[in-house]
Amino acid sequence: MASHAAAAPHTAGADAGHDDGHEHHHYTTTGLDNRKIAIWAFLGSECMLFASLISTYLIYKGKSLVGPFPHTEWVNEAGKRFEPILDIPVTSASTAVLLASSFAMVLALQAVQLKGKPIAATAGWWERIQRSSQFWLAATAFLGATFLGFQAYEFTSFVHEGLTIKTNLFGSTFFTLTGFHGAHVTVGVLWLMTLLWIDRTRGLGPKDELIVDICALYWHFVDVVWIVIFTLVYLIS
Amino acid sequence: MATIAAPTHAGHAEASSQNTGIWSWIATTDHKRIGTLYLWTALFFFLVGGLEAVLIRTQLMKPNMGFVSAETYNQLFTMHGTTMVFLAIMPLSAAFFNFLIPLQIGARDVAFPRLNAFSYWVYLLGGIFLTVPILFDVAPNGGWFGYAPLTTVQFSPGHNIDFWVIGLQVLGVSSLAAAFNFITTIINMRAPGMTLMRMPMFTWMSFVVQFLLVLAFPPITVALVFLLMDRFFGTTFYAIAAGADPLLWQHLFWVFGHPEVYILILPAFGLVSEVLPTFSKKPLFGYNVMVYSGIMIGFLGFGVWAHHMFAVGMGAVADSIFSMMTMLIAIPTGVKIFNWIATMWAGEVRFEVPMKFAIALIGMFTIGGISGVMHSSPPADLQQTDTYFIVAHFHYVLFGGSIMGIFAGIYHYYPKMTGRFMDTGLGNLHFWGNLIGMNLTFFPMHFSGLYGMPRRIYQYDSGQGWDLFNLMSTYGTYLIALSTLVFVWNFVRSRTRGAVAGNDPWGAGTLEWSIPSPPPEYNFAQLPEVTSRYPLWDLKDPSKTAGIAHSHADAMTITDAHAVPVHEETERFTAKELGIPMPLPTAKPLFTAVGLMTMFSGLLFLRNDLFAVAMTITIGGACMFIGGLYAWLTSPLE
Amino acid sequence: MPKLRLREAGPALLFMVVLLTLTACGDTVYPNTTFTRFTDLNSSILSLWDRLLFWGTIVFVVVEAALIFTIIRYRKRPGGPEAKQIHGNAILEITWTAIPAIILVLIAVPTVKTIFQTQAPAPAGALKVQVIGHQWWWEFRYPELGIVTANELYVPVGRTVSFELTTKDVLHSFWFPAMGGKRDLITNRTNYMWFTPNADLGTQAWNGFCTEYCGSSHANMRIRLYTVQPDEFESWAKHQASPAVFNPLAPAAPPATPVANASNRRPAVPAVDTAPAQPSTGYVFPIEKLPAHVVPQTPIPAGLDFDDALLAGGDATRGATQGFMLGGCIGCHAINGVPGAVSNIGPNLTHVASRHTIASGLYKFDGPTLARWIKNARHMKPGVIMNTIGRGEYDPGMKMTVTAGLDDRQIADVVAYLMSLK
Repeated sequence: MASHAAAAPHTAGADAGHDDGHEHHHYTTTGLDNRKIAIWAFLGSECMLFASLISTYLIYKGKSLVGPFPHTEWVNEAGKRFEPILDIPVTSASTAVLLASSFAMVLALQAVQLKGKPIAATAGWWERIQRSSQFWLAATAFLGATFLGFQAYEFTSFVHEGLTIKTNLFGSTFFTLTGFHGAHVTVGVLWLMTLLWIDRTRGLGPKDELIVDICALYWHFVDVVWIVIFTLVYLIS
Repeated sequence: MATIAAPTHAGHAEASSQNTGIWSWIATTDHKRIGTLYLWTALFFFLVGGLEAVLIRTQLMKPNMGFVSAETYNQLFTMHGTTMVFLAIMPLSAAFFNFLIPLQIGARDVAFPRLNAFSYWVYLLGGIFLTVPILFDVAPNGGWFGYAPLTTVQFSPGHNIDFWVIGLQVLGVSSLAAAFNFITTIINMRAPGMTLMRMPMFTWMSFVVQFLLVLAFPPITVALVFLLMDRFFGTTFYAIAAGADPLLWQHLFWVFGHPEVYILILPAFGLVSEVLPTFSKKPLFGYNVMVYSGIMIGFLGFGVWAHHMFAVGMGAVADSIFSMMTMLIAIPTGVKIFNWIATMWAGEVRFEVPMKFAIALIGMFTIGGISGVMHSSPPADLQQTDTYFIVAHFHYVLFGGSIMGIFAGIYHYYPKMTGRFMDTGLGNLHFWGNLIGMNLTFFPMHFSGLYGMPRRIYQYDSGQGWDLFNLMSTYGTYLIALSTLVFVWNFVRSRTRGAVAGNDPWGAGTLEWSIPSPPPEYNFAQLPEVTSRYPLWDLKDPSKTAGIAHSHADAMTITDAHAVPVHEETERFTAKELGIPMPLPTAKPLFTAVGLMTMFSGLLFLRNDLFAVAMTITIGGACMFIGGLYAWLTSPLE
Repeated sequence: MPKLRLREAGPALLFMVVLLTLTACGDTVYPNTTFTRFTDLNSSILSLWDRLLFWGTIVFVVVEAALIFTIIRYRKRPGGPEAKQIHGNAILEITWTAIPAIILVLIAVPTVKTIFQTQAPAPAGALKVQVIGHQWWWEFRYPELGIVTANELYVPVGRTVSFELTTKDVLHSFWFPAMGGKRDLITNRTNYMWFTPNADLGTQAWNGFCTEYCGSSHANMRIRLYTVQPDEFESWAKHQASPAVFNPLAPAAPPATPVANASNRRPAVPAVDTAPAQPSTGYVFPIEKLPAHVVPQTPIPAGLDFDDALLAGGDATRGATQGFMLGGCIGCHAINGVPGAVSNIGPNLTHVASRHTIASGLYKFDGPTLARWIKNARHMKPGVIMNTIGRGEYDPGMKMTVTAGLDDRQIADVVAYLMSLK
């Protein structure tokens, strides 16, 4: 029934885009996938989120009534000395790790795009490894997890040195700001591991470029936010 | 090829029998059904908020009335504001976003149908979470603005504020998810030829609103996270003993709070911009300027937040800057008013019920706008802020503006949503009751305010010069309440008893009126190629649109291979008959939403020292949320 | 015809605006009106307001008239003209963008001038008053005069009074409608505001309010302002700065009160009803001059009973030496000159009997009300910190019945004591 002419509306379908990894493309106004547009809207919102968190940190900077303080030492009523609490060398290392993860993410996306393209028999190890999306996804996730490890170490040592989220305005704003960022990195790592799992089970190819691409956008965003945090919180005293 | 032969048997009846029952609503991913759910739910909360208003006004009817206690009164005014803003007006707008945007831009659904369902369910659960406590006298009582440090545990030890923080946090998720969805839908799902500058004005205003939502909700999310962490985990963001600055909350709140005003009003502006041309038989006057002024309002809306804070002592320079920014915003707003009047000028104005509400919006919003300019001047505002003058002002904006616009929209689009008209006689009764009632309620408040009556007081002495004004306001509220009951009766009854409406009952010009009422699940059997702002008028009465930009020539040579010229679709088929893939019904968004709500509600127990209970509920909720999300994302849409 | 009714609504509204604005002058009907020129601050504000109202009225009339004219003139009529298909008009649109812009400039310029004028530092020689907000009462300190008082503020006419605003707990806002704009009290911040009551203002009483929502009894955080003549103020200030006039707990010598009335030192004498202020106790705003709108009318809640007959037998000395201690009053209230009575959790009571209201302007200051207040303050003012003290009373805050506390006779003693603190 209704077989005639029905084909036209079908293929014309400006119908629902999809919030899943569906394959065939529907008509869209811009030609871009819906998810690509949505991720940009999402990241715009995230900018405001981190802008609010960072502004709060800056507003409360230097307003804490008691220490420990980020960049200056503090002596409490009992005469106990507290060193400036931020450990810039260690955090510089973790920042480098996160930056490296963005590099790995770029290569992961490239590997997915190149999947299936013939590779010269004379290709060296680097060319071969460049083609391994699994390697680069795993590398990105690993570097992200390393960053989280650094953060866990930093938080633990701060608590040992007497700074908790309840201690003062600095503690509240610092842990909340960096904690929110850490949560974003955690989500990113889970996202990367999900992609890795998909890659291992059914293989990611050029047709899946989009789902890797939006993850990459997110990952680079989280990375850029960290550069801002690192500069404003750690470097500028 | 442009016509479709009727199927051999009645597909319509079959289709409707498949699409009834509770499950079809729980699992729906159809934007029209989700819009309908939004509409019913928001109207319910509108009645709840209205009932709260009636109780408030009864308490204030006479000096030292003693009708409710101070604590109850404080809960009532907090919940009246919170309910009307977050649970009534915003979702009423969302109902129209859902129902109308895809129809107006010629799409078959929104970009992410399941995310759309998720937004609705989160809204419903968050609304219930916020509302139920008032039945047990433990509702939020810190005002809709929730100023710290009053809302910290030190000064509000009960669970009242907990419900507020968690409820708003959850509702924020709903609004943000919906905003991402509609931004994508509007950017990416427009039919061929539907350029940005051909979009109907409602879609345009909604588009601006989505950006406001995306940019304004994060600051309040952060403010609420701080408050939540202060209350549940002992952080010091608003702790006065730690040296916290209460203005932090105020800035974060109003950076959200002022754009929020435009989030509430712009959809109503969009709706009347659809109604006025239709019932004047003329295109909207100055379409381009209407678009730009809408964008301008949205943009400036982010630069004026501190005019809510002229009394906090920001200093003369900051006061002056925010004052002038605020005055600036009056210009694009004024332009809209004049353009609406010019739209009716030299037209054939038909006083149908939606048109009456639209005209009332122009008249009433103007009053709110003028009083708004009055307190854009900080010295004058210092005599007005936190008095009933302000209450009068923003009710002229929100009742005279948003609510009037939304009612115009409901009467206008009811035939499209249900296939039937609402009753005109009852509609007129509702309109006049509302118009007279609102003026009787809110106009005297200008005077009680300027004669010294502060806001948010549950009792006052007689002889202060406020008695008459308060009595008038109370009777006005009763009149609004009665006329709202008339509306509810009309709304419910017309679903089955109203006169049957065709595709285009009002003689409108935009795409949504080219398809049957109510629209079939796939909206458009064939993708229309749009050639102007009023494609339906092009079709039926080209003289009406002769003066505006067209791509008429292209209409013969369709640019998109699959599109057809705009035409009236009169036949009904099922999507299956047409071979149109529709999103599958699924309850996963609901499951995920329940997970999210559960996760947050677990926190409540933390403050009762029930750590294990709190953790169990929160982790259980989180598992539900993440599990639901994975299940949803890994299952096919269509 | 519904159309006609809409036509009538516009002029009717306008008439209402004009009518009610004109009545703004009548401050007997509207005692808390903001339309006054009683201070320099409010004169500036009112000049600005007049301009706002002028332009506002013009815009209102123009827009509403245009709207009503349009819908009547162009309503659809049988045989009427067809709609003219106009899509826009650049010149018109520029015009109605430009005209509001010009009006706004006319408002903005005086606005900015007034902002800088009213927020300038207070002129030299201003009387300093520290205003400290508490849930839900006002503490007033005159640091130059050594006065600490509560809820009732005396200022001399013709002299600038400069307020320094802080709060002990949540946000509040300080406002006398007839004197000028308000200013918020912000936790961990200090705000400033000043105004000069006109020299010809006369000895008058005014209402003030808290206008920032501050919790349960926000509505019950009222202020009384007395504008008095300079000599009256001096007399009042001199007495307020002195220690309590009746003080059986004071160290024996030297006499704690230079101006104390000797008769007050004899126990069992204090009159229970408000006696006229004794000349030697300094100036007090005469109670008979209080207009009705500054006399509190809050009804005492039902169920709060007190045997008023006991008040006549109240013993001020016993009240001071026993009730004031046993009831725990001394834990929160300061009375200058009384050893140990130094806390400022509650209002300073040194000269409490010179006030005309209790509970921050919520009730009249008289024996029967005071007795009930002491007995169960939380029943009379929701959420108040002051404990329920009456034995056997139900404390709505703690949600339990008070088993210790004072009985009615002991409360009558405390009342007698407080009534003696002129």
